[in-house]
Amino acid sequence: MKHRSSPVLLSMLVLAFLVQGFLQRAVIFPQWKRDFNPGKGRMYTAAMSPDQILAVMAGFREITAGILWVKADSFFDNGNYDAILPLIRLVTLLDPNEIDVYATGMWHIGYNFTDEEQRSDRRYLPSALALGKEGCRQNPDTYELFFEEGWLWYHKIDDDYNQAVKWFLLAQAKPDMLPARKNLLGMAYQRTGEIDKSIDTYYKLYQVAENAYEKEGAFQNHQNRDTLESNLDTMLVRSVQRGYQASVRKDPLNDYDVYPPFDVGFSLKATVVEPRVIRFEGTWNVLPVGTRIRAVLRDADFPGAHGAELDWDAQDAVNLDPPRNETFMQEQLFVKNRRFNKKVDMSKDPTMYPFTKDKYILEFYYNPRSGPPHIQDKFGWSGDGMTDKNFLDTQVRKGQRVIFATLTLTKDQILRYGEWVDKIPVVKTKNYVETAPQSVSSDDVILKIPSLRSSSGGK
Amino acid sequence: MRPILAIASTTVGEAIRRRVLLVILLIGVLFIVVAPGLGILSARSETTVLRGFMLGVIQGVSCIIAVILTVYMIPNEIERRTIYTILSKPVQRWQFLVGKYLGAVLSLLLMMAMMSAVMAFVFFLQQQSKNVGEVADLMKGPMMYFVQMCLLAAVGIFFSTFLAPLVNFFLTVGVFLMGTFFNPLFQTLQENQNTVPFVKYFAQGVNTFLPNFANYNVQNPIINPTSVIQNEGRYYLGITVYGLVYICILLIIGILIFDRKEV
Repeated sequence: MKHRSSPVLLSMLVLAFLVQGFLQRAVIFPQWKRDFNPGKGRMYTAAMSPDQILAVMAGFREITAGILWVKADSFFDNGNYDAILPLIRLVTLLDPNEIDVYATGMWHIGYNFTDEEQRSDRRYLPSALALGKEGCRQNPDTYELFFEEGWLWYHKIDDDYNQAVKWFLLAQAKPDMLPARKNLLGMAYQRTGEIDKSIDTYYKLYQVAENAYEKEGAFQNHQNRDTLESNLDTMLVRSVQRGYQASVRKDPLNDYDVYPPFDVGFSLKATVVEPRVIRFEGTWNVLPVGTRIRAVLRDADFPGAHGAELDWDAQDAVNLDPPRNETFMQEQLFVKNRRFNKKVDMSKDPTMYPFTKDKYILEFYYNPRSGPPHIQDKFGWSGDGMTDKNFLDTQVRKGQRVIFATLTLTKDQILRYGEWVDKIPVVKTKNYVETAPQSVSSDDVILKIPSLRSSSGGK
Repeated sequence: MRPILAIASTTVGEAIRRRVLLVILLIGVLFIVVAPGLGILSARSETTVLRGFMLGVIQGVSCIIAVILTVYMIPNEIERRTIYTILSKPVQRWQFLVGKYLGAVLSLLLMMAMMSAVMAFVFFLQQQSKNVGEVADLMKGPMMYFVQMCLLAAVGIFFSTFLAPLVNFFLTVGVFLMGTFFNPLFQTLQENQNTVPFVKYFAQGVNTFLPNFANYNVQNPIINPTSVIQNEGRYYLGITVYGLVYICILLIIGILIFDRKEV
């Protein structure tokens, strides 16, 4: 028997083909591309095993990402931090909407890569920031990664606070931001020296918090309102006490804590006590505890390095492999009884401190904007109450009063090569005065009772 | 209509009695039950991993069931010669094929509904959530997967009208992989400046005419609720209509081929 296809059936078939083609091309694909494509065009990477690639090809991206993230957790438990990096990258490529993976990845890259003495490898920070920027681009509708990016600037980099403000403002613009987290913008404004904006921010947030509490007397609303009230109160008192309000009115500052400026008397000596081990000793005339002076040792030609910092914002693309042949060490020198004395051992981490270049720069930096409140009570938010006859600098951070000093060392000196095998390299500032050897053990240092109002500033 | 329904109900009965399908279903359910353990092991992403894993299991298991269920459907009837008994009665060949397909779809519906119910229960228990909306949101995934599996079953039935089960298995899985893979590939080709125009048009053609399974992978915004989706309902409606149209196409071609087949 010969079968003949019905022309009607064939016509219906052609019509159905055209309809599905139209639906696919004109209606479905544009929206799928915008809203449902997790990879945003990326299919898979060479870092996956064949079964993972197959799973991803078959559309099981999210489950693959989830399993990889569980695997990453086991590496966290084992302390195998290097193995986590490719997994973070892979998970964020497979599912760029995994906000927690981005946030955890930023924290991990920014905080967890440390040397034997728990100093962070700062060379990773541009990658952590780049990962955050990518996360923000992929998830523009939620505040979380904008906030995380701001937090990294505010807390980890602890400098360039205008960047923290920029990211906190972007986070603030998202409707889903948690009210309590908004308070940090007020703190960030204080650190940029924009006191009026800080007060203004607290006022506005307080108003919102008050309204929220009146609407719903829940515990968190009550707590948030009280926190903001306290912040605002403290801020107003400090703005008067530190002479800010007087300076706005152009009144004389004679009666305020920041006047006259206090000479911190910074001096320093750096001794290469052993190959790759440097002792920093020096003076800082501020009696109350809480001062941390930033010490940086870096290649003289480290790309983008300037004024005791790197060009943190240099990367837009995520590169999880920091420059292995470049050295950038950053440490905090804690002041006790007007002196600091710290031995920095870089001998156990050759990958972090490769010392491949010939010349090195030592930089010492103190910015009162990062200081604790009791120090700021004397120095002011922007260092109006602080001076140093040798090292006060207003250029290294444009318009800010900071303490900044540099010294140089050579590779031979740091590694104790050549003429330095038997000779101890010592570099120091011109004003450094040798005194009787100080005790270096933290156990036998007797702290004098700190005073918030030191009278040694010449008042 | 009665012969179609009779064949469909018999097919459902057969599917439920097939041990291999039940074992696969059981494995799927077990995976869903242990999923909270996996979520706990993931740093800061407990709910995300839990949702992703459970939806992935439902989709994966349903996919295997859909393929195994349909590739043997017509060849088994011919091999066991049961088709002669059926076709000797006043049953048209198209009615037989449509009945078989509906039976497969109903079986899939039963099995997927069971897995989805377990998922909803486990999620509810794990999250201690009284928010029914959250659970309902999660159910969007299996609903769209069901349409996806109906399309996959149609592909399997279509090939089973003229291919042996083993070849059909690989071909159906191959079509599923290509249909899933082509949307991202097409987008990559479209956005790549270096793509030769011919390749671009070829990819566009394939993407337009091959059954597109990637459309139904709607899990990402369900797993990550922070994503903002515009016209969500319109999209779901669009892909459902697309699926129905494509299923009709496959069944019509299948009927045309089956009609000519010597049995």
